[in-house]
Order: sequence, then structure tokens, then C-alpha cells
Amino acid sequence: MKKIVSVVGIAAAITLSLSATSANAASCPIKIGGLAPLSAPGAVGGGEAMRDAMMFAERDINAAGGVLGCKIKVVIADTEGLPEKAAGIMEKLITQDGVVAVGGAYHSSVGVASKDISNARKIPTVFAETWNDTITGDKQKYIFRIAPLSSWASGTIWKSALLTPGLKKVAIITENTDYGIPAAEETAKGLASGNVDSTTFGVDIGTQDFSGIIERVKATNPGYIIVLNTGEAGYNFAQQAADAGIGPQDLPFQAGQVALESKAWWENVPDGNMAFVQRIGTPVSLWNAKAIKLNEDYKAKTGKGAIESYALEAYDSIGILAQAMIEAKSTDGDKIVTALENISYDGTLGRIYFPYGTKKDPSADGKGDEWWHQWPDVALTMIQYQKEGQDSTDSPIVWPDAYKSGEAIYVK
Amino acid sequence: MEFSGIFWGVIGWMIFWGVTGSIVSRRVYLHKDLDTSNTGLVGSMLGAATGPVGLAFLWMKTPEITTRMMLFPSLATVAVFMLTFSISDPGNLCVTNGSFVASQISNGLIIGIIYGFMALGLTLIFSILGVVSFAHGEFYMIGGMITYFFTTVWFPELGPIVGILAACISTFILGAVFERVFLTPMYTGKVDRPVEYGILITFGLAFTLQYFIQATVGANPVKAKRFFDFPKVRLPSAEDPWLIKTSRGNMELFDTISISNPRFTAAVMCILVFLALMYFLRRTWTGKALRAVSLDRDAAAIAGINPNKMNMLAFALGSMIAALAGAMLVQAFSWLPQVGAIPAMRSFVIVVLGGLGSIPGAFLGGVIVGLVEAAGTGCIPNAQKAASYIPAYGMIVLTLTLLLRPTGLLGRKYASGTHGKV
Repeated sequence: MKKIVSVVGIAAAITLSLSATSANAASCPIKIGGLAPLSAPGAVGGGEAMRDAMMFAERDINAAGGVLGCKIKVVIADTEGLPEKAAGIMEKLITQDGVVAVGGAYHSSVGVASKDISNARKIPTVFAETWNDTITGDKQKYIFRIAPLSSWASGTIWKSALLTPGLKKVAIITENTDYGIPAAEETAKGLASGNVDSTTFGVDIGTQDFSGIIERVKATNPGYIIVLNTGEAGYNFAQQAADAGIGPQDLPFQAGQVALESKAWWENVPDGNMAFVQRIGTPVSLWNAKAIKLNEDYKAKTGKGAIESYALEAYDSIGILAQAMIEAKSTDGDKIVTALENISYDGTLGRIYFPYGTKKDPSADGKGDEWWHQWPDVALTMIQYQKEGQDSTDSPIVWPDAYKSGEAIYVK
Repeated sequence: MEFSGIFWGVIGWMIFWGVTGSIVSRRVYLHKDLDTSNTGLVGSMLGAATGPVGLAFLWMKTPEITTRMMLFPSLATVAVFMLTFSISDPGNLCVTNGSFVASQISNGLIIGIIYGFMALGLTLIFSILGVVSFAHGEFYMIGGMITYFFTTVWFPELGPIVGILAACISTFILGAVFERVFLTPMYTGKVDRPVEYGILITFGLAFTLQYFIQATVGANPVKAKRFFDFPKVRLPSAEDPWLIKTSRGNMELFDTISISNPRFTAAVMCILVFLALMYFLRRTWTGKALRAVSLDRDAAAIAGINPNKMNMLAFALGSMIAALAGAMLVQAFSWLPQVGAIPAMRSFVIVVLGGLGSIPGAFLGGVIVGLVEAAGTGCIPNAQKAASYIPAYGMIVLTLTLLLRPTGLLGRKYASGTHGKV
């Protein structure tokens, strides 16, 4: 009887160890989701840049030995920049593709729509380029962000606009999204604090024809135009405004983020010289070795002049998750969150860390809820194209003074 | 809006008498055993514009309903609406600024002409084949892509005409081949449900074309260079060019109306091609044959016309028209594989608004949608929302038209339908 029991025991032990081995085998490679808009109406140029950067992150992490003895695999998912699509995509990444964490994402609306799903399923998510304050403001355990808050980004916009000599009126063109609406409100509020009036014009994300709205903008006689549109709508508005005599060469004009994609900017907005553009991340002259190396690889692969800031963010969103798993020694969501809250990750954007979270609430330092799981040291600058065909990384930084590399030229 | 109470009060009054006029007029005409086909439209418009006074006259006299009787009350309703708006919001740009209004009207007209032109292709296909081509937007996209590659990437030295011609020829051939290969089962009885088959197969073509272009060209926005710059003109004098003033990309008329170069080029080309198309359809044997097939396939076949060849020609021509619209607009808008989705949707609205199968109706519908969109964008007091509702403006006009005149503005009662068989 004893023999039978011991045989059964040994068999059970072998079965258990085999199943444990196969579980480990099944978890290799470790899958990390990578959100990016790769179809219209999303900002496809931005999405492709983020996708390429996340694939570089996968390559570099695997070349450095992978994570927990496994290679990692970044599962790219196309959000199309649409919130309704994003929710489904996040669900699919988690339930079908079996990702243990998620990085990337460009549009705020995508972040807002998908964060509840990843949080409910205990999947740590590091948003790379989603600015809406509520993404971290809801203080969800599994949600982190390395992009600036919308309120900070708006600060760059209105503070640099207020430097325009004799500015009285500003026209703000924004998209009706979770990014555009709050960004426009915060920008208008900031301008008002400097006694500058503003009028906001809202448009749908995929708008092509701006002729009617441009006439309306002209009628307000603005001294400065701020565009908060993502995707090709940003190009369409800028060139149509230039055709109508209120483009970047006619009056101070701050283009949307898509203008950082220099090649596409000059092709789609040939009259786009003198445009101001907000740029995230440290200036090229201050890049660390990691950023310089990534930039070289990226340029060689894409043929572009330089890597975009959102691509750097996407790269770091994957990198920081990988490091968190290594430090947590696990792919368990709770352990990764703990590791992220204690992390000090040297990324392409600089040293990334999260001072506020479950250990310390933002209110302890008198900060708002949006500081929860938020990297605080995002560098925000305003550049200006000052030569036709110029690359965004070669363009002078005109604000803030800490990073300034050239003087702003105010046309008109 | 300064006096919103007045505005909504009058709108409520107009709706009340419009609905009353629509319902009661039909009953009055029916009671007198008269034709009721357009009583809804006349009753509602007369009610909205004149209230009980005009309706009482209509119900007492019950005159025969002519085109003029439909037109004047409709125009009067628009006039009452505009008057109410101007009284309710006296500070609105559309009330106070004449040059702004003129610019918005010219913008609306120009974009409306382009919309109408694109919808022509769709209505041509429907009138002959009885198929709504869901690949219309993709032909528009391909027309732009081919023109972009010819004029900007491959042969920038050749000039835009070559690119436009290449787009037209390619899409004509593509349309003809697609029709021969995939749509002929509809006519030969090989499929049980030809109408549904037509919808599904054109949907399939749309997805195939869109993703083929995305896979081969990429999804980054591209744009063709301006086909030509305006010559520098300043009239009547260089010092005071109040009549006309041009820069490379823009033309200003009367110091008020501003027209961008790409839009102007596209609109002029659309008008010329529209006139050529009308000549072709009305003056040439092939054009008359196409129209004959759209009216009665069997009678046309008896007269010696091969309806199947006309099917092929119509699909190829319709696809080419969409591509030509795209070829003209690739210098105005940033171009993506998905760029055709919104124009295609708008074309469906315009075709139904103008009357399924009616070519002048499509053009008229396009102009109306363009003007309504311009008016909405320019006049809605809340600037933040005015442009957000652009897609809704056309839908509102369409809904009203279908409620009051189900055949559309210039549509026939039976326009093609189940593949030309009524």
C-alpha cells in the first residue's frame, strides 16, 4: 500500500513539476502590449514612429538578455485614435494575446477609454503620449504615465504665446476629443490670465475641409493661432490657413504635434515655415547615450532626419515595464506596480520615476490627483521652424529660457 | 444668441404649422380626389412660411401643384428662417458682416460643386446598374494617390495633366474590369439576391483597395504640389486692387471673397467635366444609350442597345469621375488610404437628396449641401460647436427632404431599383 502511495505521490509530483515547467514555457516570450494609431483618423505618422520605437525597445531588451530569462515580445495594436476601438483593443491584448503589461498610446481619448479595462484586469499600463489629466487623475492602481499632463502642456503653449509682442487676441483650433477640449480650455484660461482674449473653434478629428471655419477665424482678427489637432487634420488646417492668408508666414502660428514629423510637415504644409511647435523631451544637445543610439538606429531604419519625442516616450514605456518586471522578479501585475512605484529608470527621456502613488498620495505634498503615478520631470519646449525644409530637431528652441537655443521670429 | 426666445418661438411656430400643413393638405387633396404626391412638401413649406393664412388659401382653392408652387414656399420658408435668425442674433457675423457672408457663400458653392461632381459618378452607376457602389470613396482615394505619385514622386517635370489623365485611365480600366468580373453574375441570374450581392461585392472592393494602398504606399499623409500658382494680378490698379488680387495660393475678389488656388482649380475642372458629361449623355449615341438603359433596360435592348456593355461603361465612367474628383483635390487636402470615407458618405447623402439616378439632382444636391454646411459653420453662434456639426448639416437637409419628398429633389418615382427592373 505504501508503495502504491509513494508511486502515486511521485507521479503527482512529476505531473505538477511538468505542468509548472510548461507554464513557464508558455509564458515565454513575455508579451507586452504596444498601443499606437496606425490607421486614420488617428495620427498615423505618430503611430508608425511609436511602433518603430517600441520594436527597437523589444530588440534592445532582448539583446540585453531579456526579462526573467525570457525574451519579450511587443504586441502592437492599432487604436486608430478612436476611443471605441481602444477599449476593444485593450480587451483583446489582455484576454487573447495574453500581455502582462501595456505601453505606448498616442491619443488621450484612447488612454481615457482603455485605462479602466487594463486597471480592472490588473494589467500595469504605462501611457507614453496621452496627455489628458484624468488618465492619472483617477488614481488607478495599475495606470502610469511618462507623458506630460495636458495642463502642463497647455502651460507651454499659452506661456510662450504670451511672449508675442502686442498680442490681444488668439484663435484656438482644437479637436473635439479628450485631449483637445481640456487642452483648449486650459490654454484659454492661461491666456486670459495674461489679459489676452481667445476664441475656441472645435472640429472633428478627421476634418479635411476647413474653409468655413478659416473665414470665421479670419473674422476674429487673431494675432496668434494655436492648433491643437492631431493627425492629418493638423496639416490640412495649417496649409488651408496659409492659402487663406492666416498661415505661419502671415501671423504667429503654433502648429499641432504632427508638425514634429518634419518630412510629412513640409510635404503637406509647404507654406509652413515660421510655425511654432511644442516638443516633448530634452533638447537634442542634452540627449543621453541611450537616446543618441536610438536616434541613429531610428534614422537608419526610417530615413527620417531625427527621432520624434513621442517615439522616445514609446521606447521608454516598454523599457520601464521590462525593468519593473526584472526588479519585481515576476510578471504579476501587483508586483510590477510595486516595482514601478519604486523605480529609477534611465531612459531616453532621462531618469524616470514616479514619486506619488500608493506609498505617498499627491495630496501629501499639496499636489492634485493628476500627479498620481505621473513622471514629474517631463521637459517641454517650444521650437520654431525658421528655414524651409528644416528638421524639427534642428529647429531652434525658443522657449523656455532654460533650453533656449534661438530667438523667436514673430511674423507680421 | 441674444434673443433665443424669439428664435425658438418662431421655429416652434414654423414646425407646428409645417407639420399641420403637411398632414392636413394631403387629406384635403385626397378628399377632393386630387393628386397628393407633393402635397406634403407644399403644405409644410406654405405652413412654415405663412402659417394658417397660406394654408387656408391652399385648402380652399386646392390648386394643381406645380414646380413653382413647390419652389416659392420653400424659398419663403428659408427667407423667414433667415429673417428670424437675423432678428434673434443681431450681432452674429452672418448678420453684420457682408464680406464674411459672401466668403462663406463662395466657399459653400465651390465645395458644393466638388461634392456634387463626386456624387455624379455614384448616381450614374446607380441609375444604370441599380447598384450603390460602396467603393466610390476608394476610387476617389486612388485617383488622388495616382495623381500624387505622378506629379510629385515619379514625374514631377511632366505637369499635372499627365497625372490626372493617368488617374482617369487607370480607374476607368479598373472599374470596367471589376464590373466585368464581379458584377456580371448579377445580370445572368447566377446570384439569388443581386442587390445585396452588389452591395457586398462593392464593399469588398472598397476594403481591398483601401488596404492594398495602405500596405503598398503606407498610411502617412501625402499631398501633391499645387498644380499651378496664380499669376500675380492686381486690378484695377496695383495700388488699389479692390476688384481682384492674387497671390500664389489665393485669389481675393472685391476685397472680400477669398478663394484658395487648389479649390478654385478643382471647382473649374468639375464644372467643365460636368458640362462635357452632360453633352456626352444628351448629344452622343452612347450617352443616349446610357440614358435609355437607365429608363428601361428591356426597351433599350429591343432598340439594339446592349445593356451589359452600358453597365460596364457606367461603372467605369462613374469610378473615373470619383477618381477625377480625388485627382483634383489631392493638392488641397492631405491624402491617406482612408481619405475617401467622408466624401463617400457625403456622396450618398447628396445622391439621395438630389434624387436617386438624377445627374442634375446630384449636382444640385451637392451645391445645397455645400451651402448648408457653409451656413452652419459660419452662422452657428457657438464657435466651438459650429464646425463640429458639419456632418450633421447634410443629414438634417436629407432627413427633411426625404420626409417631404421621398423621391429627392429631382428624382424619378422609380429610379432603377432592382437592377433596372421595376
